[in-house]
Amino acid sequence: MLRSRAAVVVIVAALCAIGGAAYVVLAATSSSDPKPATLSGSKHKAARLAPVAAGPLPKSVLVRAVDPEKATLEGRIYRADPTGGGTPKVQKDPACLRFYQAGGSALCLTVARSGVDFRAKLLDRSGDVRHTLTLTGVPSRARVSPNGTLGAMTTFVTGDSYTSPGQFSTRTTILDMASGRTISDLEKFTVIRDGQKIHDQDFNFWGVTFARDSDELYATLATGSHHYLVHGRVSTRTLEVVRDGVECPSLSPDGTRIAYKSRDGKPWHWRLHVYDLRTRADVALAETRPIDDQAEWLDNARVLYGIGTDVWVVPADGAGKAQRFLADAASPSAQR
Amino acid sequence: MSYLVESSQVVLRGKDKAAERVSVRKHIGRTVLLLGTTSLLTDISSEMVSTILPIYIVFALGATPLQFGIVDGIYQGATAFVRLLAGVASDRKGRHKPVASLGYAISAVCKLGMVLAGSSLAAIYAVVYADRVGKGIRTAPRDALISLTAHPKALGAAFGVHRAMDTAGAMIGPLLAFGLLTAAPRRYDTVWVVSFCFAVVGVAVITMLVKDARTAPADPPSRRAAMASAIGLLKVPAFRRLTLAAGGLGLATLSDGFLYLGLQDRMGFAPRYLPLLFVGTALVFMALAVPMGRLADRVGRGKVFVGGYLLLLGVYSSLLVPSISPAVLVFYLAAFGAFYAATDGVVMALAGSLLPEELRASGMGLVTAVVAAARLFGALAFGALWTLGGVDAAVVVFAAMLALAILVAAAVVVRREVAPVAA
Repeated sequence: MLRSRAAVVVIVAALCAIGGAAYVVLAATSSSDPKPATLSGSKHKAARLAPVAAGPLPKSVLVRAVDPEKATLEGRIYRADPTGGGTPKVQKDPACLRFYQAGGSALCLTVARSGVDFRAKLLDRSGDVRHTLTLTGVPSRARVSPNGTLGAMTTFVTGDSYTSPGQFSTRTTILDMASGRTISDLEKFTVIRDGQKIHDQDFNFWGVTFARDSDELYATLATGSHHYLVHGRVSTRTLEVVRDGVECPSLSPDGTRIAYKSRDGKPWHWRLHVYDLRTRADVALAETRPIDDQAEWLDNARVLYGIGTDVWVVPADGAGKAQRFLADAASPSAQR
Repeated sequence: MSYLVESSQVVLRGKDKAAERVSVRKHIGRTVLLLGTTSLLTDISSEMVSTILPIYIVFALGATPLQFGIVDGIYQGATAFVRLLAGVASDRKGRHKPVASLGYAISAVCKLGMVLAGSSLAAIYAVVYADRVGKGIRTAPRDALISLTAHPKALGAAFGVHRAMDTAGAMIGPLLAFGLLTAAPRRYDTVWVVSFCFAVVGVAVITMLVKDARTAPADPPSRRAAMASAIGLLKVPAFRRLTLAAGGLGLATLSDGFLYLGLQDRMGFAPRYLPLLFVGTALVFMALAVPMGRLADRVGRGKVFVGGYLLLLGVYSSLLVPSISPAVLVFYLAAFGAFYAATDGVVMALAGSLLPEELRASGMGLVTAVVAAARLFGALAFGALWTLGGVDAAVVVFAAMLALAILVAAAVVVRREVAPVAA
């Protein structure tokens, strides 16, 4: 009786071993990356945008494709018409989780080949990979300064904090795009609030945005229950608190306003706002659905952002309404 | 109190009956080794998935790991009631193996569920929840089986053997998953499929080879009455004190992840080496599980259990110093692993010795349910304290809470402890 039962276990174990091994061998031999699929059909269609007199439109908008059903397409970078309309064209090959390009250099946060680790790829004007860095944590935000010299990236350093509600840690580093070296970590910057130096172990930074001189920057500093908008310079390693309640800031091309996400009371619910740095006026934008993205300015009058698997556009003055800019896309970066 | 007398006179089963001076194998029993094998295979299977899951969710689905973390934390706490229900159900029939097997089988099927869930976030959350439910279901009946088949004098050692095997699986799983993804990059499905294979063999071992320890079906047999008698266990003073002590200690226990991040921060090594802290702790846990269990059998299970939490309190002190050296880090990891070895299995051995046979699984379900709920509540409270008063204040409050819980536990568990069971 016992012997026959033991035999059953041995047979089950043998079948599982053979079946599992066969599956792994098949997967290992067939997983050399096939050619990336091309965009087609109704997906990745752009809506035509109404013309707005708001200074020059960008030359184009780069996006990463979002298509979980086609693994070969997911994360590829495409070039779209800034007026909307038409089907975007394939730009570059690397599959990115986060992507941003400015001033002729690009930052692509991606999964390592093994699939168990994350990498940052620094690309040059022609789209070739110049440097590859190993990331600590899971990619969250990527930005490149307008002249292409500096990069900034935020990762979630999770440990296994996903088993601990309410606790997490982020890391935001500034990169030299030419050499691929890490210039600094925002946690090493001096932070000033009301003329006083402040520091706390629970400091978390995220969402960098660079000004035109590619030295001045804005970011979010979270400490306690505050989400400060901080403003400073890479060259002096200082940051000064501007105001509270600002996450993932994005500076307008003319440098006068900050688009950001603002907590609207519910957990994991944010709404897009625009804050005028000169007048201190603050408006909630017409997009009322919850968003979790760092906005990107299409021009001085409209911002782009991701919701679900689409990129949307909304006027930056609180008027008008949100409109779909591009379907099945994310991580927009306007090429000025 | 009559329960206590009964349980210290548990009649030995089968061939072990004649054993006076017994080998480990006879003391522990074949069933414990087989259950350990099932746990080893199941832990390989589940740790393969949980190592890869966060990265898979981010890569394939674009969700943030934070969102997933919150959902998962709540799921873990939400299995508290399932734990109690499963214990009660297995006592009602007087059979533990079917309920434990069901729990293992649910988790095995979930691995296939990952293949089918593909890139649907809702489906993945559902599968993860079902997997946690499976884990909740099997724990109490399996621990009841261990306590019913092992020699009562060797309960601590028996749980030590089981936990050592379990932890071995938890260390093999991640290595295997990384290996698979290196061989077949981005083919996450290979991880799910191989994980399923290990789980199936684990289920085969328990269903085919483990002999059930039958106890008298709980009387009366209605569900409501069975639940009432489970809750009624709290009227047994010794068990009530243990549940209270374990719940209080659970409330003041910080998550592993937070302790590891704290150590990393104070020593300043790259976060990518964080998994090594887990490996170090697990190694110590594995090595010390049996010795700690034997020590508990010899000097008293309550003493070892409470002593384990003193070690944890020592580990908390690492969060209150500005920096630590590598040698000190090794000390902390050893203390943390020893904490697990002195508490994880020992608390069940302690519960086993206090509970009557026919309510063994119900009582164990009750203790783990209370601890699971206390830990969830503690984690939420810690998050709130952190937000209100900063991280240092939160750690100080938790250290004080733990010290208080240890004093209470020492007073109600150790001081009242019946003289060591062993000769």
